[in-house]
Amino acid sequence: MDCSYFRERINLYVDGELGYLEVAELQQHLSFCPDCAAELAQVGEVRGALAAWGRLELAPPPAFAERVMAVAELEPLPGSPRPFGRAVSDTLEYLDEKLGSIPLPGGRHLPVKNVIGWGLATAAVVIGFERRHGRRSRELTPL
Amino acid sequence: MATSNLHKWASLPDPSSADLARATEGDAQAFKLIVERYQGMVYSVAYNVLGNRTDAEDAAQEAFLRCYRKLPQFRSEATFSTWLFRLALTASVDYKRREKRHPEPVETPELVAEEAPELGEGVDAATIVAALHDLPEDYRVPTVLRDVYGLPYQEIAEATGRPLGTVKVMVHRGRASLRLKLRAEGAGPEQGLAGARPRSDA
Repeated sequence: MDCSYFRERINLYVDGELGYLEVAELQQHLSFCPDCAAELAQVGEVRGALAAWGRLELAPPPAFAERVMAVAELEPLPGSPRPFGRAVSDTLEYLDEKLGSIPLPGGRHLPVKNVIGWGLATAAVVIGFERRHGRRSRELTPL
Repeated sequence: MATSNLHKWASLPDPSSADLARATEGDAQAFKLIVERYQGMVYSVAYNVLGNRTDAEDAAQEAFLRCYRKLPQFRSEATFSTWLFRLALTASVDYKRREKRHPEPVETPELVAEEAPELGEGVDAATIVAALHDLPEDYRVPTVLRDVYGLPYQEIAEATGRPLGTVKVMVHRGRASLRLKLRAEGAGPEQGLAGARPRSDA
């Protein structure tokens, strides 16, 4: 039996992303296909093991808290006015979080904030050129 | 349906509002109490997202610095631990996007609890760590966010900057790869993943 159709749906099933009819169809198949039933059980076991792992607390490296405090004490007080450079980097970080990125071929990504930045820079150059060119044109135009 | 491990971490006791207020005003001792209480959670999140100790320590430190800077923005609608948990996840994913991974030989990290954890039949901590370590980077981060921490796909797509469909495919492939690795590492043919029948078709 070609089970590939159902195998593709097992992940969607465990994620709760199948519709009612698709669930019924898969469950009917599972009732007489031990291979697919075994695969469903294995996916469940993997997810169970990963979730159990995620509930465990790993021991941080020795003196980790002291190292964090040494760096935190160099920071300006929380909520105090930030240095210009930090304000710029925080704003860029915020924009990155909010705007996301555009996927490119090859798994690369183009941050939307960069596109906006280039657009603004291009607009500034065009406006500057236009103003300068326009003024020179007016100066050269005979009355 | 995965139960988000956010619920587990949210059960950590929050700092008192007086301690939070003191930390927000710049009291180093009050902030140190926060770091000491939550360092295990933040480091665990960073380690699981990044997969090695050097990067995890850097990202965990960055998470605490972001916490320090953003303390005035904390609102008590969420528990403090949930807020910090999300800061740790974001800092770790950002670190992953920004920095090249430091290759390290796989080594099971120490656990805070002394007894060996129950992760499933024939599956121990070393097996899980090794299996996650061997996953391709593109699969590991979405799979960890989805199945270790139970984040919704949409949130993973936003955090990683990848399309929703791509994220789902990566998680499905990550699970398949983990399933094969855990089955190969299984303790015996009668136990858990090791006892499952091999696929008869591809």
